Amino acid sequence: MSEFEIQEIEVNHRNLIQKVAFDQCGSRMATCSNDRFVKVWDKNSDGDWTLTSSWKAHSASVWKVTWAHPEFGHVLATCSFDRTAAVWEEIVGDMPGPRQRGTRHWVGRTHLVDSRTSVTDVKFGPKAQGLLLATCSAEGIIRIYEAPDVMNLSQWTLQHEVQCKLPLSCLTWNPSLSRLHPAMIAVGSDDTNMNIGGKVFVYEYSENSRKWIKLETISNITEPVHDIEFAPNLGRSLHILAVASNKDVKILTLSPVEDDQVAQSGLTKLDIQTVGQFDDHGGTVWRVCWNVTGTLLTSTGDDGCVRMFKMHGINLWKPVAALKGDGTHVPTAAEAARSSQAAQTARYIKLGSIQPNRELRH
Amino acid sequence: MTTFCVSQEGPVNALALNRDNNQVAIGGRNVFKVYQIEDDKFREVCNLRNSKHLNSGFSCNDVAWSLTDDHYLATAATNGHVCVWNLSKTGRPTQEQDYQDHKRTVNKVNFHATEPFKLISGSQDGTMRYFDIRVPAAVTIFQSNTESIRDVQFSPHNAYMFCAVSDNGSVQLWDVRKPEKFQQQFTAHSGPVFACDWHPESPWLATSSRDKTIKVWDLTAKPTLEYTIHTIASIGHVKWRPQYKFHIASCALVIDCSINVWDIRRPYIPFASFTEHKDIASGVVWKGDPNVFLSSGRDSTLYHHSFSDGQRPASKANPQGVSLNNRGEVIYSRKINYVMSNSNSCSQNSLSKAVGLMRKTSTTQAVDNFHQASSCIYAFRPTNSETEESSVFLDLAKNYVLCGRTVSELCERNSAIAKQFGKHDVALTWKIMGTMYGEEFVQHLNASSTALEESTGAPVNAEEQAPDTPAAAQFSGGDEETENEDQVDNAFPNYLNVRDGCLPRGDFFFGENELDVELDGAPMFMDYYQYGRFNPVEYNEIDWTLPIEAFDIRHEILDRSPPPEHFPHHSPDIREDSSQTVLQVEEPQPGMLTVGTPSKKLMWDPSSIVVDTLQYYSALGDVQTTATILIVLGDSRKYLTGLSEALQEHWLLGYIDLLSRYKMWNTSTQVIKLSWLPSVSQLNQQSTTINTNCGKCLKPLQRAGWLCDRCHTSEYGLCSVCNQVVKGTYVWCQGCSHGGHIFHMRNWMSDKTTCATGCGHVCEYN
Repeated sequence: MSEFEIQEIEVNHRNLIQKVAFDQCGSRMATCSNDRFVKVWDKNSDGDWTLTSSWKAHSASVWKVTWAHPEFGHVLATCSFDRTAAVWEEIVGDMPGPRQRGTRHWVGRTHLVDSRTSVTDVKFGPKAQGLLLATCSAEGIIRIYEAPDVMNLSQWTLQHEVQCKLPLSCLTWNPSLSRLHPAMIAVGSDDTNMNIGGKVFVYEYSENSRKWIKLETISNITEPVHDIEFAPNLGRSLHILAVASNKDVKILTLSPVEDDQVAQSGLTKLDIQTVGQFDDHGGTVWRVCWNVTGTLLTSTGDDGCVRMFKMHGINLWKPVAALKGDGTHVPTAAEAARSSQAAQTARYIKLGSIQPNRELRH
Repeated sequence: MTTFCVSQEGPVNALALNRDNNQVAIGGRNVFKVYQIEDDKFREVCNLRNSKHLNSGFSCNDVAWSLTDDHYLATAATNGHVCVWNLSKTGRPTQEQDYQDHKRTVNKVNFHATEPFKLISGSQDGTMRYFDIRVPAAVTIFQSNTESIRDVQFSPHNAYMFCAVSDNGSVQLWDVRKPEKFQQQFTAHSGPVFACDWHPESPWLATSSRDKTIKVWDLTAKPTLEYTIHTIASIGHVKWRPQYKFHIASCALVIDCSINVWDIRRPYIPFASFTEHKDIASGVVWKGDPNVFLSSGRDSTLYHHSFSDGQRPASKANPQGVSLNNRGEVIYSRKINYVMSNSNSCSQNSLSKAVGLMRKTSTTQAVDNFHQASSCIYAFRPTNSETEESSVFLDLAKNYVLCGRTVSELCERNSAIAKQFGKHDVALTWKIMGTMYGEEFVQHLNASSTALEESTGAPVNAEEQAPDTPAAAQFSGGDEETENEDQVDNAFPNYLNVRDGCLPRGDFFFGENELDVELDGAPMFMDYYQYGRFNPVEYNEIDWTLPIEAFDIRHEILDRSPPPEHFPHHSPDIREDSSQTVLQVEEPQPGMLTVGTPSKKLMWDPSSIVVDTLQYYSALGDVQTTATILIVLGDSRKYLTGLSEALQEHWLLGYIDLLSRYKMWNTSTQVIKLSWLPSVSQLNQQSTTINTNCGKCLKPLQRAGWLCDRCHTSEYGLCSVCNQVVKGTYVWCQGCSHGGHIFHMRNWMSDKTTCATGCGHVCEYN
């Protein structure tokens, strides 16, 4: 692992930031907040993040923001407590005046109003399947929308509604590029009742019945789940899923099993194994995020740290680093154990002391 | 305190509590009842619906309970009547008054808090009427000069003041003694104002509107907007929470069936949310206690809520975010920890003590820090980017040579590149690939396959061997995997020195470097040795010609590389050894050498080990190695049995996807071009047609981009610089549509900003 330089970004969101998201190429960033605003940041030539757009996206707290594949343009989707999900597109404006030409701004293409409760997550599907959008809501419904014409982002049709029994908090598409892997979605629930069984469900689209069918309930995760993400699958035969729950970060592998039954039903049978389980955060884990190759997982939790877990060989995961926002170095358990192996442990430099804002704005 | 409810015959429009907060009156189209509130249930006291005074058109819009005399109830009806009811202890409730002053629906009635018998009503006809319930007609009439009055309420701070809100978005403040004109009027909302509520302590007025906001106005002097709460629907009712200065309850008129309690300092997300009602909640009243309130709903229910039973939507608000980009940068947002910042502010305030301490001891401040929600964002950027995975990926992607040479040359080259950028295991894999798929190997394979077609006797046996070979290869594959895993973990410093020498091309059987490199494969070698010895024996039984091939090769190789005798006999090199084993077996039959057919060879089929290697790298997340090897192997791919097209496609698409994330368009296009799978190679061939229309007649140009078949002119295909017809690439400004030869335009725009035609347009050229 390398060293990190820490920079605090002046965000000016007037309330909690709910999510940050890089685009595919990593040179743009979107943030969304309780204050109903979405902001888009671009990296300037010095490598600093500069605010390029900021707009009121919803009439209530914006929970998530996510980028579409760049093939479809600069497109964002958001979802909100106001029970809608929205699709935004950046267009180059036709402002009068020679210097005004080329200014960019974001326009709302559609508001999806089918949910009767808070829409808790929104994600674009893998691009090979066209322009798909999945949402999940607090009432426990997964909705799959499709834009039949990818040039017209204002027209979305609701293709599927999948009823799940629990209130849902997060959703992820299996990003596999292989045509051997049917479309798959995993959802997590933040229901606090620990006695009602598994909180993560895996659904698959069945070509035969043209429906989304529940493949699995992951029964060993009974804690409320806050975030879930499939690792990018660029050539693996199995799928890797990261789950952030009230207790820990889990890394699961979902391997398709081949047998007669599978061939008959046309549905994938999954062999699910927990290959990593880390309670390093010592409490609630809020977010998980993969790197582009699916070899490094980052998570954040109540301890205020970003922790990193790296693949060391097939299905072998080890914590490699912890980053703290104020620049202090947090030794990981593994790091403390093998502090002698300086070459393999992470080191951080502290560029001045960064303190959180003390001033409270009402 | 529990949450409980009672069902009614029909929708409930309004509710009111008595002075002691132990009885509640509810009113609706078919409902008019008084309930006693008990610990866990409502007990019906009387049903005024049965009263003979009720006429059939009666539908109650609002109900109010006198705050000075417990016997009096007032109702506002849709037919414009305002009725006063006397709930005398002596017996049946009686209708004391029936005011028919209003011409249209009465929206609101409100008793004066301190003056007995004083009642005010607001109506759809735009007037407010002030009644003394002992008198059978309105005492005073207030003309609002607006279309309709939605809500009217006496001020708790000023005995003579009341406020009225109306459909046109304005708020009026009146003095009951001055019916001629309002004291103050201001526009509060951009849509109809549906409700208002005076703050019980502060000089604040809350108003709610169809514009989906709740606004809090400070009326000390000129009305000023203090807070705005944004809601998801029109708000029909608002009520301040007692004892909590900043809390206010609201219920919506449409869409949202829940009752939300907001902290006005955090106006984006409700502090608490109550979702018991199945339809719109029509009214909410606090039971004198901040932890209990009652609500009525269109779903024909009356609810008694315990505040602790509410949901806290903010608790679901994820306070952290993290994202990782393709350059290893991490963006991390988190809630600012206020426990920490409070202590900070405490220490700061030691400089200016008094203010800080006062604020800290204030009770409302201590209740919770719900409203103190803000986040900070940190960007973590790797400082030594050379070692970062992504930059290695980029270097490799830029430098790998994928075509144009022989397989072994490409492998050799790529091996050197991988080594240069520190990927020693990948470098080794390239070398092995180059060795296994060098020209000789392919020639042999081709030769043996042609031999198979030609002859009939021996080649059949060769085919019989085929089932054996995958097993051997499988075994080897396992060996390779463990070796690679070791390398990943150990950073393999041992290999570095020994592999500096260049590997002779095609040195399949006597690879000097391999020999050194695979030292740690020794334990495995023993098994392989046995296996290797066993196999040739079997071959010999079948066909004696087979060993000759191996011998034949040996002679070829002897020309260029050291003879096998130079090696220690127990060399751990598996391939070296297998060939030696073969040699040992065949040596007793030297005579056969001259008669054997040279085209038939014993070839160890490496395809499954190669497939395993490729799968191994892709499982490790290194699809670059997998895909590039697959591409470089070129035609040799056909020997890779057991590798499905779907998997090859998956790998190629994976690599292309990764390249496009780094904007490596040239490399990704090269990969697409080199692809042997139609589904991949066609990626670049979709939507590549540009249709042009004639600039004069607007008909599509069918023959060429510069000549219209219809009007026979090339007028619109002229270059604006040289005035010649542009037959190649025509570039034009998107703004003024003038353009021409790309080189002319480039030259022109290099030192000028305006269009070459002189149209005055400031063109853009990149």
